[in-house]
Amino acid sequence: MSDLVYFEDIEIGEVHRFGRYEVTREEIVEYAGQFDPQPFHLDEDAAKQSMFGGLVASGWHTGAMLMRMICDHAIPGAATTGALGFDDLKWLKPVRPGDVLSVETRITEKIESRSRRDVGVVKIESRVLGQHGHAVMTLTSLVLYRRRPPA
Amino acid sequence: MGETDVLGSHTVSEAEIVAFARKYDPQPFHTDPEAARATIFGGLIASGWHTCAIMMRLSVEAMQREQAVGTGSPGVDSCRWLKPVRPGDTLTLRREILETWPSRFKPHGFVRSRAEMLNQHGEIVLSLVGVGMFRRRAEETA
Repeated sequence: MSDLVYFEDIEIGEVHRFGRYEVTREEIVEYAGQFDPQPFHLDEDAAKQSMFGGLVASGWHTGAMLMRMICDHAIPGAATTGALGFDDLKWLKPVRPGDVLSVETRITEKIESRSRRDVGVVKIESRVLGQHGHAVMTLTSLVLYRRRPPA
Repeated sequence: MGETDVLGSHTVSEAEIVAFARKYDPQPFHTDPEAARATIFGGLIASGWHTCAIMMRLSVEAMQREQAVGTGSPGVDSCRWLKPVRPGDTLTLRREILETWPSRFKPHGFVRSRAEMLNQHGEIVLSLVGVGMFRRRAEETA
């Protein structure tokens, strides 16, 4: 337990890069069929007629893919206990079949909780990057970190 | 503007929570009912991204009923997961239109709205303010 990263261990300005998520047509259509059944997420021909010019992933699907990369690479070893939510989510570029996504995170703020002495809130700015390094989505998460237990 | 509508509801099953979380948010309190009991949540809860996805599903169904044509979204101003969502919870989507404005260059308009998901006890579990783009009627853009 002692090597867990607690609230106290996090430094503002820290940057981490991680993850590799290959986006497939099948997964785009499967997610959209379940949660976001708009034509440009479901049907190639309809998507060609849309302003996207081809099939694109649901923005909420991109958020889910970000969460998966965070679970695989950022949460192990971190004393996190969920999140309050996020601010300033921007869907900047379409995510298409064949895209390979990764993540860059930066710690922007630490807030001590007034109501709970056992946790603190860490603001983490995440950039989801495409294979050419361009940001496709950005957001600022409010993540709960446990405080380091007294020795 | 200022109108508040109830757009639909969905009952969340344990199987759904686990299936979503295994794929997109594999943390023990989302994937394993046994392990979840020992966490601060005291039992299985849905991924916040799953609650957002259900909100989107209910929104799209409402758009289809209203024959509104969505053309994407630039983003979300804020999203808060206020209460845990548990198996068997029935979530209802409530939407309030906050602001609308036309796009200058395309036959589209923007709508900023607040979406709230309430559980069967009337508690707000998700509160979100976001912007959607919609096609405008032909006569409005002529």
